Amino acid sequence: MNRLTRTLNNLKDNNQKALVAYLVAGDPDLDSTLDLMHLFVESGVDVIEIGVPFTDPIAEGPTIQKAHDRALKNNISLKMIFDLVVEFRKKNDQTPIVLMGYLNTFISHIDLVESTSIIDSILVVDIPGELSLKDYGITNPNINTISLISPTTTDDRVELIAKNSTGFIYYVNLRGVTGSSNLNIDEIKNNIQKIKKHSDLPTLAGFGIKSANDAKMLSACSDGVIIGSSIVEMINESSNSKEFARIGEYLKEIKQAIS
Amino acid sequence: MKSNKFNLPDSNGFFGEFGGKFVPETLMYALEELENTYNELKDREDFQKEFYSDLSNFVGRPSPLYFAERLSNHYGSGSIWLKREDLNHTGAHKINNTVGQILLAKHMGKKRIIAETGAGQHGVATATVAARLGLECHIYMGAEDVKRQSLNVYRIKLLGAEVHAVDSGTATLKDALNEALRDWVTNVDDTYYIIGSVTGPHPYPMIVRDFNSVVEISKIIKKYKTDYNQLPDAIVACVGGGSNAMGIFYPFIDIPETRLIGVEAGGNGVSTGEHAAPLNDGTPGVLHGARSYLMQDESGQIMDTKSVSAGLDYPGVGPEHSWLKDIGRAEYVAVNDDEALKAFHEVTELEGIMPALETAHAFAYLETLMKELPDTANVVVNVSGRGDKDINTVAKIDGIEF
Repeated sequence: MNRLTRTLNNLKDNNQKALVAYLVAGDPDLDSTLDLMHLFVESGVDVIEIGVPFTDPIAEGPTIQKAHDRALKNNISLKMIFDLVVEFRKKNDQTPIVLMGYLNTFISHIDLVESTSIIDSILVVDIPGELSLKDYGITNPNINTISLISPTTTDDRVELIAKNSTGFIYYVNLRGVTGSSNLNIDEIKNNIQKIKKHSDLPTLAGFGIKSANDAKMLSACSDGVIIGSSIVEMINESSNSKEFARIGEYLKEIKQAIS
Repeated sequence: MKSNKFNLPDSNGFFGEFGGKFVPETLMYALEELENTYNELKDREDFQKEFYSDLSNFVGRPSPLYFAERLSNHYGSGSIWLKREDLNHTGAHKINNTVGQILLAKHMGKKRIIAETGAGQHGVATATVAARLGLECHIYMGAEDVKRQSLNVYRIKLLGAEVHAVDSGTATLKDALNEALRDWVTNVDDTYYIIGSVTGPHPYPMIVRDFNSVVEISKIIKKYKTDYNQLPDAIVACVGGGSNAMGIFYPFIDIPETRLIGVEAGGNGVSTGEHAAPLNDGTPGVLHGARSYLMQDESGQIMDTKSVSAGLDYPGVGPEHSWLKDIGRAEYVAVNDDEALKAFHEVTELEGIMPALETAHAFAYLETLMKELPDTANVVVNVSGRGDKDINTVAKIDGIEF
């Protein structure tokens, strides 16, 4: 059982919701990313999702696109991200780490992905959900496949995707890119219930969650929430690492709201 | 119709190892809806009738196959024939595809049309068909291309469409495609995305190819067989995403007597790395929904491209071209910016036909090709578009200010 499954099972056993927090590796630099990862954990984050920068991130809104661009200016590669996680694991061997990115960067470094035991899951935004990482040559048993299900996923696809997922199911709250607004709580609730009919896996809700109140509403109908753009925006607004403290406060507030 | 051997893509949208559907989940249902609609309509008599009626009455097809006498004499051997796609309404082959896709949009009841554009020809062709049907239209265009193709930007606006200048990334065609995909993810319920080349996720490479394969090739074959008792020895077309090339190559795939030659943008020279020639100097990878040859670094990041021609300035290429390259059925070469510019002037002066800078790349390769071929050879150049849109670019290079 890898860290991700263990963590999510523990939360479930204790009737708690998961808080997943996202940041882009190397934005603004790798030292900051390492500090932020530890800060996330201290602030109650259960799972860390690391965005792997890509030149053409088609599912990202402007906030995360710019973070990818900033990271790419630092020439961040997948190899550097694995080295970053090695550093992180020296102090923390418990918190699950999910890499989120685009297929082209992962298939360019299949060897890294195949041999790792420090990463727990890979979420590839641009592969069809009914396929799993095995279809792309990633067979490492330590790595879970997290698939996305969206408001436009048809019922028969929900079934297929649920069957092929391990780790958790990522429910995309809205039609749109990361950082969009307009959550439709009723639609989200209905769709997550539909997913639950096909899978026992935890279903987490992501995209468009901007406040503790959003998180609270969504946690009521899901197994946890994923926060991305609002954190990335705060990272961008911080002129030095001292200002990261307010990100910790924000995450604590969200954790409390979903508890 | 095609023999089974070349009846691709397969049901998953693959041409051999290339193609597929690599998109965010939100778009999967839209791609299925599009594929189902296309499969239902494409062979239906009423759809064919409407499509060909529009091609004939609105686009002005069929376009001629014209003997370029002075250009042939210039090279001293062989006969050069021009497939005059530049004579189409709006001045390029792009309208063939948009006329077809807008019929699909209409049938699907979509109220909002989006498209990406590089040189602006696809933007103009999309805005044109949207205007004709009174549909809301948004065109995404890299901010760099907005600058170098200002004439087409204004044409698009005159046609009632909104132009969105895209600043992200390299601010060229690939970034326009990213932004159009993001728009589609957001507005997927009421929006039809008219992709302008044989790129993107399945079923687009198939649909765009089919709508571009209206180049009256069967007539060409008949003419050659009747007049010369032979088939064309070679067909030459420029390749950016590769829609004009795919349109004219497709009916010839199973006719091995005819060489198929795609000409990519060599920019400053393939050996300099500053170019847009993924089939000459790229590796397979996944971008914009499909697996194909790409210009990418060892980390899988997409590289900047360089070409004097905005329409060829793209780091990827249609997946069917990648397949044709790998099975050895088509040849892909590259010509540099300066060679293309020289051909632009030569063809304009010798034939009274001003080709688009994209098309000028195909012409530039004749310099090499005609030397290889015997005097009896017949070569067809697909004149994908006319060059009016490029006058500002060419004038600037020639040091002329208006």
